[in-house]
This record gives sequence, C-alpha cells and structure tokens, in this order.
Amino acid sequence: MAYDTSVTPDAVADLSAREMRRSVMSRWGLRAGVVIGWLAFIGVWYVFSGAVLGTQQLPPPHTVAAEAWQVVTGDGFGATLWASLLRVIVGCTLALSASIVLGMVIAYSAWWRGLLGVLTRFFVSIPTVALAILALILFGVSGLGPMLTAALVATPYVMSSVAQGLTGVDRRLIVMSESFGRTRSQIITGVLLPSSVLAVIGGARQAFALAWRITLLTEVFASSDGVGFQIRRSFESYDVRGLLAWTALFIGLMFIFENFVFRQLERRAFGGAHVSQATAESTQ
Amino acid sequence: MATILIENLTKVYPPTPTYPQQVQALGGVSMSVTGNVFVAVLGPSGSGKTTLLNIVAGVEEPTAGAVRVVQDGVPAQVGYVFQEPRLLPWRSVLDNMLYVQNRKSDRSKREAEFYLSMVGLSDVAHLYPAQLSAGMQQRVGIARAFLVNPDVLLMDEPFSHMDALTGRSLRDYLQRIWAHTRKTALFVTHDVGEAVELADRILMLRPGGVVFDDIPVNLQRPRRPDDAAVRAVETEVLRRFDSMEAAVRFGDQRN
Amino acid sequence: MSYAADLPTAPEFSQASGTPQSAPAQAVHWTRKPWFINALAVAILLVVWQYLYSVNERVPSIDEVVSFLGVELGGGSHGGVSRGEFWGPLSISLQRYVIGLAIGVPVGGLLGLLIGGSRRFRSVLNDTVLVLLVLPSVVWAFAASLWFGIGSTAPVVAVVLTAVPFMAVNLSSGIRGLDPGLALMSDAFRVPRLRRATHLLVGGALSNAVTGVRLAFMTSWNSLLIVEWFGTASGVGWRAKHWYDAQRFEGFVAWILLFVVFITLLDWLVLRRLEHRSTRWQQQPTLTFAEGEVT
Ligand SMILES: Nc1ncnc2c1ncn2[C@@H]1O[C@H](COP(=O)(O)OP(=O)(O)O)[C@@H](O)[C@H]1O
Ligand SMILES: [Mg+2]
Repeated sequence: MAYDTSVTPDAVADLSAREMRRSVMSRWGLRAGVVIGWLAFIGVWYVFSGAVLGTQQLPPPHTVAAEAWQVVTGDGFGATLWASLLRVIVGCTLALSASIVLGMVIAYSAWWRGLLGVLTRFFVSIPTVALAILALILFGVSGLGPMLTAALVATPYVMSSVAQGLTGVDRRLIVMSESFGRTRSQIITGVLLPSSVLAVIGGARQAFALAWRITLLTEVFASSDGVGFQIRRSFESYDVRGLLAWTALFIGLMFIFENFVFRQLERRAFGGAHVSQATAESTQ
Repeated sequence: MATILIENLTKVYPPTPTYPQQVQALGGVSMSVTGNVFVAVLGPSGSGKTTLLNIVAGVEEPTAGAVRVVQDGVPAQVGYVFQEPRLLPWRSVLDNMLYVQNRKSDRSKREAEFYLSMVGLSDVAHLYPAQLSAGMQQRVGIARAFLVNPDVLLMDEPFSHMDALTGRSLRDYLQRIWAHTRKTALFVTHDVGEAVELADRILMLRPGGVVFDDIPVNLQRPRRPDDAAVRAVETEVLRRFDSMEAAVRFGDQRN
Repeated sequence: MSYAADLPTAPEFSQASGTPQSAPAQAVHWTRKPWFINALAVAILLVVWQYLYSVNERVPSIDEVVSFLGVELGGGSHGGVSRGEFWGPLSISLQRYVIGLAIGVPVGGLLGLLIGGSRRFRSVLNDTVLVLLVLPSVVWAFAASLWFGIGSTAPVVAVVLTAVPFMAVNLSSGIRGLDPGLALMSDAFRVPRLRRATHLLVGGALSNAVTGVRLAFMTSWNSLLIVEWFGTASGVGWRAKHWYDAQRFEGFVAWILLFVVFITLLDWLVLRRLEHRSTRWQQQPTLTFAEGEVT
C-alpha cells in the first residue's frame, strides 16, 4: 500500500534522456554563442577596416593572418621567439623564487609585511613604461634589462598572491597538527606546502603573464631582438600589418601556454578534481 | 482561496561531473492543498523536499508532471523562507525587505517595518545581516516572506541551521504569526516534532521523492512540543516511518 | 608561543568568526610603528639609488633630481635654455585621462554586467574581452597613434581600450562568484530585472568593480604615457621623453617621481576611499545580544 513507485524505471530512463537532451542543447547553445562571438569580432574588424579606418590603417583579418603566416614561416622567427621566451622564463623564474621566499616571510611576520608593503606600493605606482626606460638607462640596449624588469614588476603581485595562499591555509589543520605534537618542519611539509601548491601554481601563472607583458614592453625600448623589438620596428615603419600580425602571434602564444602548460600543471597537482577558471583575473 | 495542485511531479537530474550518475529527486509526487491549511512535508535529507519547493515556487523546471499554484483562478503570490537566510549581505535588514517588495508605494517602508516588528526586529532594521545572529537572520527571512503579502507560504527547513532552543522559540513565533494570517502553507522539514507541532497535515516523503503517507493532525492550537497529544502523534509518525523503511529493506532483499 | 597563533588571520576567517576586532591597548614597540617602517623603506630606496649612482654614470644623483624638480615645478629656467613646465603638460594629460576613463569605465562596467549576469552574453562576448585583456598596452598605444596621429584622440582611445577589459573582467568574475542562492531567492520573489541588476549584481560585485576600477586607472595611466611618449607632442609622457631625448636623465627621473606621486595621491584620495566604501558591510562588528536572544 504505502510503498509504491509511481514512476517505473523505464519511465525514469526516458525522463532522464529528456533532461540530458535539455542540458546538451543548452551546452550547444553556448558553443554557438562562442562561434557567434568570434564571427562578430571578425565582422567588426572587417567593417572597421573597410569602412571606418581604411585597409591601409587597419588591414583586414585575412591580410593579417597571411602576414602572420609569413612571419612564422620566414627565417628569424624562431630566434626572435626564443630571445623573448628566454627572457620571460628567466624573469619568471626569478620572480617566482623571490615571491615564494618573500611570500612566506610576509605571511608569517607582520613587521616584514609592513616594510615590504611600503616598498611594494612604491614599485607598483611606477608606470611600467617608466621602468622599461629606466632599464634602458641602467643596462643600455641589452637582454638583461627586459629580464630584470620583468622579474621586478612581477614579484610584488606574485608575492602577495603566494602569501594569500599561505594565509588561506586552514588554521584548524595546523591546530590539529600541533595537538598531535607535530614539529614545525612536519607542519610545513605536511600541511602548509600541500595546501599552498595551488597558490604557487597560480603565482607562476600570474608571473608568466606579467613577465610576458613587461618583457614585451621593455624590448620595445631596450632591445635589439625579441617580439617587442619587432613590434617597435613595425610601428616605426608605419607597418600596421606587421604590428597586428606579431600581436596575434603573441596572443596565440599566451593562449597555448595558458591552456596546455598551466592547465596541465594544475591537473597534475589536483588529479583533475580541481579545474580552475582561465586566468583572466590574474593577468594584471 | 489559494490552491496548490501537484500532479505526478517528477524531477530527474542528469549526471554531472561531480556526481556521474543521474538522480531521481522526485518520483511522481501528487497532492492537492486548498485553503487555510498548514501542510508539512516530512522526509529525510535527500528525499527531494527542496526540489519540490523550488518547483512549486517556479524557480526550477520539473522533468515531468505539472504544478498549479493559484489564488482565485490567477497565479498566486508566493512567499518563500529558505533553508538558510539568503539575505543580501551588503544591504541593511530594511533594504533587504524592500528588495523583494514589488508593489512600491509610499507605504512600502512602513509595511516592511511592520513585519520586522512582528518578528521582534524593529531595533535592528538598519544593521547589516552579518551583524545579526543566525536566529535573527532567519526571522528577517520570515518577515520578508510575509511582506510580499503571499497567498502561499513556502518554508524549507527554516529552523534546521540553528540550535534547538532558538528553533523552539522561532517555531513559537511562526505559530503565532500563522494563526494571525492563516496563509496556505507548505512547510518542509526532517524534524518529526516540528512537523507535528506546526502542521494540520503531514505528507511523508521517502528517498527518491515518493510520498508514502499522508497523516492528518487534528490537534488544538497553540500547541507545545511537549503536549502529550503532540507526543502521541509523533510516535505514530515515527512508527509509520519504521514500517516504510522495513518495507523498502524487505523489497530490496527480494530484488 | 603556538605556531598557529603566529599566522595572520585571513580576512574571510575573521569575518566568519564574527568577533569584533578590538584594538589591543598595549604599547607597540617603536620599531613596529608605521612611521619607522615608512622611514626605513624610504632610507632603503635612497641607499639603493645612491649605490646605483656610484656605479653607473648615467644615473643622476639625488640632489640633481631634487634641484631639477624645483625648477620644473616653479617654472624657473633650466640653465638658460628652456623654462620649467609642469602644469601645462599635466593638465593636458589629465584631460585625456579623465575623458578616457569616463568612457572606458562605464562601458567596461556594462560589458561586465552583461557577461557576468547572462550565460548567453558570456558565451558571445567573453573571448573578445579576454583578447582585449591580453593585448599588451604598448600595442594599443602604437595602433592608436598610427590611426589617429599626434592629436589627443590617440591617447584617449588608448585609455578607453585599456580600461574596458579590466573593468569587464573584474566585474563579471565578481558577479559569477555571487552566491547562486541569492539569485534563486530573487527568482522566487519575482524581483524585476533592473532592481536585480543594481541591488544584487552591482551591490554584490561592488568590491570587484572597485578592483576593476583600480586596475583600469593604473594600467590606462601607463597606456597614456606610452602614447604620449611615442605619438604626441604634448602631455606629461611627452615631457618625460623630451628630457630623455635631451640626455637630461635627472629630468627624466624627476618626472618618474612625479608619476609616482600622482598615482599615490590617486590611490589615497580616490581608490582607497572607494574600496573602503565598497567593503563597508564586511567591517561591521557583530551585535552583542542583550534582549534575550539565544545566539
Ligand atoms: N542541481 C542538482 N543537480 C544534481 N542533483 C541534485 C541537484 N539538486 C538536488 N540534487 C539531488 O536531488 C536529491 C534531492 O535533493 P533535495 O531536493 O535538495 O533534497 P532535500 O531537500 O530533501 O534534502 C538529492 O539526492 C540531491 O543530491
Ligand atoms: Mg533541502
């Protein structure tokens, strides 16, 4: 009497299929939205290029794509890319190592947090373009300027996000570990480091994005090779096509790193359970 | 007069990345509630109670089946008290009340203040929710539901997130306010004592979202949780739960 | 002392515990006072500067820069060659900056509202906004100067284009981080769209919006300087370049100091206040209950 199912298993399977269809359709709707978005982007570009600015001022997308292809297949592309990438990697590594150390220091010492806070506020309020030119004054036209500037600019941001990750560690876990008589080093390796892996990966990603931007900017002023130098050369010869082609390549490169390198790192660290959003927010 | 008509209501959630299996939250629920009655829906966690209320409130789509919530032939105004207070943390208590008020007039503010005074919160109208205790926040939630002048009141375990003593005094509040207005009420809970204390009728849900029993509670109001009559009905409800569980377990063994 | 007690409290944590933060009345040692820490920071920077001056002959000395600043700000004569100029370039740049932000911040805010508030808009617009965000500001600066020449249009356009994605991305991510329960509550009470946008979305994401404003202010200032450096003959960026080109590095460094002062003032006078207001609701102490309320 009291116990009967009004819905038979078959009916449930049926209904479930309907819900599935509904969710799949909404997923396809969103994918269509993405396609529409890109088409609109390209469409607007064509309109601006054809009717507003003129093809000389703003070459249409296919011209820029062709130019980008020429750049990629032409000689010197690998060398240019490598010159920039090397600076980014070195700058990024410097920034990240400094940030991990400083992040720990400011996470656990109020005094250092105060001092580094003041210094950070000073550095952050210098426009990056001014730093790029200072690098030019200090180091002349060389590879060293872009690298060090990138590290210097990225460090405050990465440092504070690493520190935030560390302070975000669940204090109850630490209290628990203490109550079981764990030593300081056991707590660091057992609780703090594992719980701050995400913060460090987040910091690395942020460092990378920042380092690219700053390296590029500094190369514009103080380098005779690299992507930034190419962009400057295009600018100085009024070559919008080259400027946009290099920019598109740069964006493509960022996309590849974001989706293939950092996603993978995160998957590794979290066994796929934690898939984070794209880093838009962390890209200053 | 408000009527809630529910026919063969079914909700199946498709598999999600976190839980890769479909879930049947409601398995063909039918019921009809009319007039100034207080109906409790009693069931353990995961038996589809929240899903049921969400569908009745019109914020979720059923997979199959139909719901009609009408007042004199037109769609009824619904007031919803949620399991957690759900107040905008960045607005004061009074602004939270005004946020849901759709028919604005020069009396809006006075009405909001009246319902706040009804739950004893006149003095904190200007404070932010985070400055109130859990019990006070939930009282704001109750005042908010009454503010929209609802034909139908939906309440989703409103007292489950607080300690027993606070819950007890809030149930008392609710009884008094309800006796005053006698809105058609659908009250979801997993607490047998609470259901018996408040309801005229108890619908019992089992996991999978199936109604397996429907018990009238004809006791005088106001009721106290420790009345002997309330205790007796409580015992009966628990007995029926036990026999349902036994039947389900027995059924499982046969399959 | 226990190790856990050394940890600074994360902001979320102190909110969750809901205890009012009472200031301890005990005296703070002078090495921990803000004035000391500030002075120490300034001293460190000056020492580093002095060191750089001693190892690199292109680096100007501290007093060269200070006396240059005096002439430039006071409108005196730079060694008989040219006169100091400060308010002229500043007012031109400020005009460009303010106009650009007055367009870019609302446009970016609206985009953020659409992207954060609707999955459909998000699917259509998100990638475009991300591309805009990733674009280095130097590219905007170059493109704008190639398109619009040396007038004031290029700097304004560069400021707008830099501000928009920062606003949009921060506001939309703030909105998407809102408790979905609040949206469901608004559905259940049939709250109209407009009120929902202003009270729920903007109200809830206000602190993210302020972060967006802050980043937009900082980065578009940078873009403005780049355009002025490369593509105009007026404004503070041009003035800094003028001294750089003349190999007067003390002039260039003086202008960098002025930029720092500008950003610091902006931060104190505008951004910090905005930030404080937008998070006011998180900073209230919890009531102590005196009216028989069981908490
Ligand atoms: N959005 C959802 N997606 C997938 N499953 C859900 C969702 N909401 C609820 N469920 C599942 O439906 C069942 C019933 O949930 P609910 O109605 O919240 O139960 P109750 O309120 O009685 O505790 C549970 O098993 C729950 O896990
Ligand atoms: Mg529930």
